[in-house]
Amino acid sequence: MTMRMTRRSVLGLAGAAAAGLTVAGCGTSGPAGRGGGAIQLWVLQSDTENPVLKKRIDAFDKHSSVKVAMTTYVNDPYKQKLQVAMGSPNAPDIFFNWGGGNLAQFVDAGQVQPLDAALADHPAVAKAFLPSVLAGATLGGKRYGLPMSGMQPEVLFYNKTVFDAAGAKPPASYSDLLKLVDTFKRKGITPIALAGAQGWTELIYLMYFTDRIGGPDVVDALVAKKPGAWRHPAIRAAAEHCVELVERGAFGTNYPSVSSDNQAASKLLATGKCAMHVMGSWEYQTQVASSPKFVSGHQLGWVPFPSVPGGKGDAKNVVGVPTNYFSVVKGGKHVEQATRFLLDTLAGDPYVDAMIGIGEIPPVNGIKPKLAASKAADFATFCYDLVSAAPHFQLAWDQALSPSVGTAVNTNVQKLFVKQLDPAGFVKAMDAAA
Amino acid sequence: MSTGSAILSRGSRRRDRSPAGGVGSAAYRQRPGLGWLAPAAVLFAVFALLPIVVVAYLSLTEWNGLGAPHWAGLANWRTLLHDSEIPHGIRITVLLTVVSWLVQTPLALLLGVWSAGPQRHRAVLSAVFFLPLLLSLAAIALSWQALLDPNFGVPAALASALHVPAPNLLGDPHRALYVVVAVLAWQWVPFHTLIYQGAARQIPTQLYEAAALDGATRARQFVSVTLPQLRHTIVASSVLMIIGSLTYFETILLLTGGGPGDATEVLPLHMYRTGFVGFDMGYASALALLLVVVGAGLSVLIVRASGFARMDSDREGL
Amino acid sequence: MRGRARVPAAVALVLWLLVVAIPVYFIVVTSLRPADAYLSHGALPVPTDLSLDNYGRALRLGFSGFLRNSAIVTVATIALTLGAALPAAYAIVRNRSRLVRAGLSVFLFGLAIPAQAVIVPVYLIITRLKLYDSLTAIVLPTAAFSLPLAIVVLTSSLRDIPDELYQSMELDGAGNGRVFLRLVLPLSRPGLITVGIVSGLNAWNGILFPLVLTQSSRWRVLPLGLWNFQGQHGTDVPGLMAAVVLSALPMLALYLFGRRHLLRGLAAGFGR
Repeated sequence: MTMRMTRRSVLGLAGAAAAGLTVAGCGTSGPAGRGGGAIQLWVLQSDTENPVLKKRIDAFDKHSSVKVAMTTYVNDPYKQKLQVAMGSPNAPDIFFNWGGGNLAQFVDAGQVQPLDAALADHPAVAKAFLPSVLAGATLGGKRYGLPMSGMQPEVLFYNKTVFDAAGAKPPASYSDLLKLVDTFKRKGITPIALAGAQGWTELIYLMYFTDRIGGPDVVDALVAKKPGAWRHPAIRAAAEHCVELVERGAFGTNYPSVSSDNQAASKLLATGKCAMHVMGSWEYQTQVASSPKFVSGHQLGWVPFPSVPGGKGDAKNVVGVPTNYFSVVKGGKHVEQATRFLLDTLAGDPYVDAMIGIGEIPPVNGIKPKLAASKAADFATFCYDLVSAAPHFQLAWDQALSPSVGTAVNTNVQKLFVKQLDPAGFVKAMDAAA
Repeated sequence: MSTGSAILSRGSRRRDRSPAGGVGSAAYRQRPGLGWLAPAAVLFAVFALLPIVVVAYLSLTEWNGLGAPHWAGLANWRTLLHDSEIPHGIRITVLLTVVSWLVQTPLALLLGVWSAGPQRHRAVLSAVFFLPLLLSLAAIALSWQALLDPNFGVPAALASALHVPAPNLLGDPHRALYVVVAVLAWQWVPFHTLIYQGAARQIPTQLYEAAALDGATRARQFVSVTLPQLRHTIVASSVLMIIGSLTYFETILLLTGGGPGDATEVLPLHMYRTGFVGFDMGYASALALLLVVVGAGLSVLIVRASGFARMDSDREGL
Repeated sequence: MRGRARVPAAVALVLWLLVVAIPVYFIVVTSLRPADAYLSHGALPVPTDLSLDNYGRALRLGFSGFLRNSAIVTVATIALTLGAALPAAYAIVRNRSRLVRAGLSVFLFGLAIPAQAVIVPVYLIITRLKLYDSLTAIVLPTAAFSLPLAIVVLTSSLRDIPDELYQSMELDGAGNGRVFLRLVLPLSRPGLITVGIVSGLNAWNGILFPLVLTQSSRWRVLPLGLWNFQGQHGTDVPGLMAAVVLSALPMLALYLFGRRHLLRGLAAGFGR
């Protein structure tokens, strides 16, 4: 949640969150009851994605006896409104979700329709999506959701001009990264830009190191709330890697004051004050908007997050936001039609093309030529290949974990990065919070 | 001492006054009754008292804001006893309140007394000193955040002029709280300066003339005349500061969000984050009730210390 | 002798002047700096080419609407606080029954209770009253939490009215309503100004109640407008500073207009 917060209205944070507290709280845009027999579809508000979806709904409505009614919500209250509505007569038929732990609670409560039978009848649809992304909504071997938005992997961005001047190559491994830190420090350039005023930027490092060192199972145990999961040695080792970077001066000295709200870190990269910046793929759009010449002059480079030699995790794994999903509510009036709408729409060319058109990278097989012809061809293709090749796409922890643990991890990772906690202390604090 | 001077703090002076209206006076039965109290009472009951009751109930439940709260007995209160953020939060809250008072009171007092003087340049400077009061809390917090940006803000500009590295201010766990204190002082000193300025203007000049005849220096006059004359104002201003300090959290929310880590996470912010970011409403309610108790305790202290309790009679209410 | 105190005093004044003036200078200058020059030119130099574009952007984002909402909330809060607190103070001063005194005690208890502690139930109550996402939703609890201090201040103010004045009016057969209008209202003016300023500042500055109790941009107040601006246009510091300057203009006008009342009111309210 915190991760998306920075990209959405801050106001959503609490004000709107409160709106979800009770059913009585909704009513701004909710459907007036379930009358009319339409397929109720709930989705997050987005100025770019909603119109694309609306067009597909109109197309579907033309040849369907049951129409689709779309209701949009602001990010943060959405989770609450959904949770209140599920299992009640006010439940939607199709709902937007984040997969993983978020979806699992509804599946556990028996509220979500498995899509396996329907997908078996439409094998082309199942094959259309990238397996690592589809896996995010696969629980207990059953498929509960289909990807409906673009992928947002977190990658390492770098300033090519600064690298060329130093005669350096982007890092492939952790030891490369450490050497680069020393190289740029000697040149008086802050090696890595880090907006440390918020914890989630620092969490990216911890998540990647944990995955590289221990593999996805470590995080699965955290999400499953297994006792002692935070005491896994990989987490401690990942925290030690973070501290090593801090102590080596990788982030300079000011990073805890740098706010991610004003995108100062992006500016530091673009102006060459910093050499690297690890961030979600949206950084590309940020740079296009705030430093257009930096991007159009091909000075912005990107590589996957470095590998950690000797780690159990596959270096091809990716961390970030794999996608968002649409799932069908079990026991609703329109299960069949709702499923058909998803099958017809999400993997279809009109939807995928329109998504590419608004700068998204749909997790769909074989769209490389389309991406290559899009505005941000280089970067889109890179992301696409990165995720296509990834055996595992880890959902960001602050989304995957429960809200209270997500809050705690953001606070404690900040303490780790300002050395108020050592790695052992971090593990202890998280063990207590979980 | 004009009519209407001194509000919060001079109850003791009233003891000589006969109680308003003797018992059995003819007019007694016509006195304004509960009806006159009703609007305030209803407003306060609905939006302050009833919520406190609800908070007390919620503190005994486990509730993530969805569906119905589940009864949890004293579980939240047991958690509260072992929450290491609480002693930390209390320490930060008290430190912030005390240091803010120590910074703001002398500054506002000196500036207020100085600007109460008659010279023209004082009026001009006073107007400049007043400027922060024009800005809302949000405007101040957000402006300072931009201003303190270590790479693009004022520290960076000053540091590059002096050829030293730009300081890490809001991000340093040992400094962040004092930066918050500074921003709060910037915001609130003008208001309290105004209070002192107004009060200082009411000090009879004869007192100073008499002191000057006795050969007292200006510093001496300040101690022997100004301070005693302003003691009720100091109490009133301090009361406002202390009441206000529990709401400093809005500035912190915008300025640091409680960070880095939990370095500036005052108790109200801890409660807010538990409830509205972590969605642990039950536990947040326990924290909220703790705040209510602390606030009520503080109220009693304030009422006692300011003498308001005695204002009505020697044995009034509290 | 006298001169000795002057040097440190002058030094202190100049220092404080810098402390106050540098941020104000930063805000004003940045608001006039072309948006793309901010990051390259540094924070302090006087901009070579002044620009009003930032103000245009801030206005286009609906700042006039936020300003109006904030003004309404502030005025309504002041009116409601005074309207509820003055009759209550009158009753407290003139009626010595047990119930009224118990009522006073309850208000006194509330003096230092922070509003944020009860934000969750307040939210629940506001939604039950079907007031969610309206300016009324902000005004009611803000005024409620202004009441304790207002009642303390006004009660003191009213106690300064000599008893004889009440008695002579009552002997003339004046009812409570007339006493209130003819005596209490005019003589409590300094106290009313004080309460108005304090509760007005609370409402004008308030963040938490608007944040939790409203949702749509239609009812957005200035503090949230500023915060939202920062959230959505984080890199646009000049735009944010322009918005900050705009948000200060009504206060500036009010100050220039009512400076004398302000000083007198505060002096009366918190004087010796």
